[in-house]
Amino acid sequence: MEYPFWDLQIGYGILIAGIAVLHVFISHFAIGGGLFLVINERAARKTGDAHRLVFLQRLSKLFALVTLVTGALTGVGIWFCIGLLSPAAVAVLIHNFVWMWATEWTFFVVEIMAAILYFYGWKHMAPADHMKIGWIYFWAAWLSLFVINGIITFMLTPAAWLVTGRLWNGFFNPTFWPSLIMRTGVCVMLAGLYALLVAAGLKPGESKARIVRQTAWWGLCGLAIALPSLYWYWKAIPAAVTAAAIQGLPTPIAALHLSYWFAGIVAALLVLFGLIAPGKLRVPVALVLMAMGLGWFGSFEWFREAVRKPYIIVGYMYGNGIEVADADRYRKEGYLSAISYRSGDDGADLFRHACRSCHAMTGYKALKPAFDGVDRPFIAAIIKGAHLLKGNMPPFLGTASEADAIAAHIETGLDRRHISAIYGLQGVALGQTIFEIRCGRCHPMGGRGDKTTSLTGLTREDYSNLLDNAADMGVGMPAFTGDKIEREALIDYFMTLKAGGGK
Amino acid sequence: MAATVTLGVAPLLFLQLVYPLQMYPASIVSAWFFLLIIPAVILVYYLLYAAAFCLKGGKPAGTGWLWPALLGLLYVSLVYSSVFSMAEHPDLIRQLYARGQGGFQWNPAAGDYAFRWLHMVLGALTVGGFFAGVLGAKDAGIFSAGKKIFAYGMAAAGAAGLAYLLSLGDLLGPLMRSRAIWALTVGVVLSLGSLHLYFKRRFLLAGVALFASLLLMVITRHELRLLVLQGTFDPAAWRVAPQWAAFLIFLVSFAVAAVLVVYMLRLFFSFSGSDPENAI
Repeated sequence: MEYPFWDLQIGYGILIAGIAVLHVFISHFAIGGGLFLVINERAARKTGDAHRLVFLQRLSKLFALVTLVTGALTGVGIWFCIGLLSPAAVAVLIHNFVWMWATEWTFFVVEIMAAILYFYGWKHMAPADHMKIGWIYFWAAWLSLFVINGIITFMLTPAAWLVTGRLWNGFFNPTFWPSLIMRTGVCVMLAGLYALLVAAGLKPGESKARIVRQTAWWGLCGLAIALPSLYWYWKAIPAAVTAAAIQGLPTPIAALHLSYWFAGIVAALLVLFGLIAPGKLRVPVALVLMAMGLGWFGSFEWFREAVRKPYIIVGYMYGNGIEVADADRYRKEGYLSAISYRSGDDGADLFRHACRSCHAMTGYKALKPAFDGVDRPFIAAIIKGAHLLKGNMPPFLGTASEADAIAAHIETGLDRRHISAIYGLQGVALGQTIFEIRCGRCHPMGGRGDKTTSLTGLTREDYSNLLDNAADMGVGMPAFTGDKIEREALIDYFMTLKAGGGK
Repeated sequence: MAATVTLGVAPLLFLQLVYPLQMYPASIVSAWFFLLIIPAVILVYYLLYAAAFCLKGGKPAGTGWLWPALLGLLYVSLVYSSVFSMAEHPDLIRQLYARGQGGFQWNPAAGDYAFRWLHMVLGALTVGGFFAGVLGAKDAGIFSAGKKIFAYGMAAAGAAGLAYLLSLGDLLGPLMRSRAIWALTVGVVLSLGSLHLYFKRRFLLAGVALFASLLLMVITRHELRLLVLQGTFDPAAWRVAPQWAAFLIFLVSFAVAAVLVVYMLRLFFSFSGSDPENAI
C-alpha cells in the first residue's frame, strides 16, 4: 500500500497474460531453437546436406528477428508490466533474488551476442567456429532459464523460505526441478513447431519431406519430456494447494485440462503432418500447430498463475499485495492509514487496494453483474467474508467502516433498480435469480457449499425464520437484507427445491 | 540495439532494488506512457532492421525507415527523463495521482527535465558520432562526418548540461559544494581530452576517456539525486542482508560472460573470409 495503484480499465490478468504468454512462447523457442539449430547444423555438415543448411539459415533469420527483438523486449515488457501492476510483489522478488537476476543478465549478454554472431556468421565464419557459437548460445540461453525458473517457481512453492528466509531455500524450492525439466521439454517442442513453420514454406520434394519428418520428431520428443514432468510438477505442489484447487478453483483446473487437449492436438498434428504425410505440410497447418502449441503452453501458464490464488507469493503475500505478516496490524489499524497515495475518495482507494487487482466493475471478474440490485449492507457483508466466498480470495483485513466504504463505492457503479425490474422476472424465476445473487456465490447448486439437501421439505414459515436468522448461521454468512418482494420470491423458489439437490 | 537493450536491463534492476519507493510510483502515475516504451522500442527495432535490409539490398528507400525510428527513440528518452525526474519529487507524484489514477499523468514540470533530456539526447548523438568516426576511420568522408557530429554534439551537449545545472536553482549551490564538483570537473576535462585524442586518431584512448567521463557524469547525477531526495529518502539507510554466495556466483558468471564475449568476437573476426561459400 506504499505504492499508488494503477487503475486501468481492463483486467490485470489479461494485460499481464497478453505480454507474458507471448514472451514465454518466444523465449522458450529461443532456447530450444538454439539447440535445434546447432544440432541440425552439425548433422547437415556431417552429411553434406546443403538443403538442410539453407533451411537452417532461413530459420536462423526468423530466430534472430523473433527472439532478439520481440522475445527480448517482451521480457523487459513483463518487468515493466509487473512493476506497474504489482510493485510490492516485484520489490520482494528483487530484494531476495537480485543477484540471481544479475546472474541471469550475464547469461543474457552472452546469449544476445551469440545469437547475433550466429546469424551473421553463416557466411563469415569457419563452420567449426560457427557451431561453437551455436553451442555457447544454447547453454547461455538454457542457463538463463535455469535461473528464472527458480524465481518463477518460488512464487508458487516458497516452502522452507517462508521460515528461514534463505535465498537457496526459496530458489531450489519443491517445484524447481520438475518445472525446469518440463520447460526444457517445452523448449524442444517449440523449436520443432517454429522450425516446421519455416519447413512448411520449402519447395515440395524429397528434401522437404525429410526435413519436416526430422523436425516433427523434435516436437514429439519435447512433448514426451514435458508431459510426464507436468505430472511431476503437479505432484510437487503441496497437497493442500492442489486439493483446494480441485475442490474450489475451477479456473486453474479448467486451464490444466485445456492444456491436455491442446497437447493431444499438437501430438496428433505432428504425427499426421510430420510423420505420416510430411510432404503435405503447408504454412496454414504449421500456423495451426503453432497456435495449438501456444494454447497448450498458455493454458499451463494460466494454471500456474491461477492455482496460487489467493496469493501472489504463496503464504507470504496476497494477490492484492498485502503481506500475510501485516494481517494483525491491518485488523487493528485498518487499510486507510497505510495507503500512501490517496485520490481523495477513500472508498475508491480502499476498493483499489483491496479488490481492484482482480476485480473490475465491468469486464473481467466483474462486480456489477454480481451486485446489481442488491443493497450496501449485503455488499459490505460479502466483502468482510471474502475469504470464505470461493476459497481463492484474500481475506478482507480492514475495519468494518472500511468495508462499508468499499461497499458504498461499489454501489455507485451498480444498477440501483429492484432486481425484479433489472432482470424482468417475477415469482420462482425471480427467486432463483435472487438465490444465485445472494446465496449461490457460496452455495452453488451441486458445487462446493451446496445446501440444497438441508433446504428441502421446509414450510414457508421455516424459510422465513431461516432468512431472519441467516447472519447467525455461520461465520461470514451475511444477513438477508432483501425487501419483502425478494423474500417472498426466494421462499417461492425454496419451495420448489427437491431432496437430493436441484429443483 | 539488442546489446543496448540488454545492457540497459542491469541498471533497471538495480534502480528497482534501491529506489522502488521512488521509481514505481512515478512510473505508475505515467503508466501508459511508460508501458508504451516497449511497443515503441519493438517498432524502432524492426524499422532499423528494415532500413538495414533495404540498404544492404542497395535500395536508397532504406533511409525512409530511419526517421520514424528516430521519433520512436526520442519518445523513449523523453518518457524516461519525465518519469525519472518525477521519481525525485514524491509530492508531485501525490498531486498527479490525486488528479487521475488511470496512468495518463504526464510530468508537467517540464522545466525540471527539459534540459536534462536535451543533454541526454545530445550526449547520445555525440557518442554516436564517436562510433561512426571510429568504424568509418578508413573512409575520409565518414570520419569527417563522425568527427563533426562528435565535436558539435559534445559542444551542444555541454551547453544543454550547463543549462540544466543553471535550472537547478537552489540546488546548484549545495551541488557545487558537494563532492559532485570533482566528478563534474574531471568529467568535463576527460570529455575534452577525449575530443583531442579523437582528432589525433588515438581512438582507444579517446574511447576510454569518453567512457570515464560518462561514468563521472553518472556519479554527478547520483549526487544530485541524493541532494534532491534529502530529507525524504536516503539509500544508505536501507537495511542490507548480504548474499555472498549469490554475489560470488554473479561475479564468476560476469567474468565468464566477459571472456566468452571476447572469445566469440575473436572467432567471428578471425575468419579470413576468402571462401565464404565454403563456410556454408
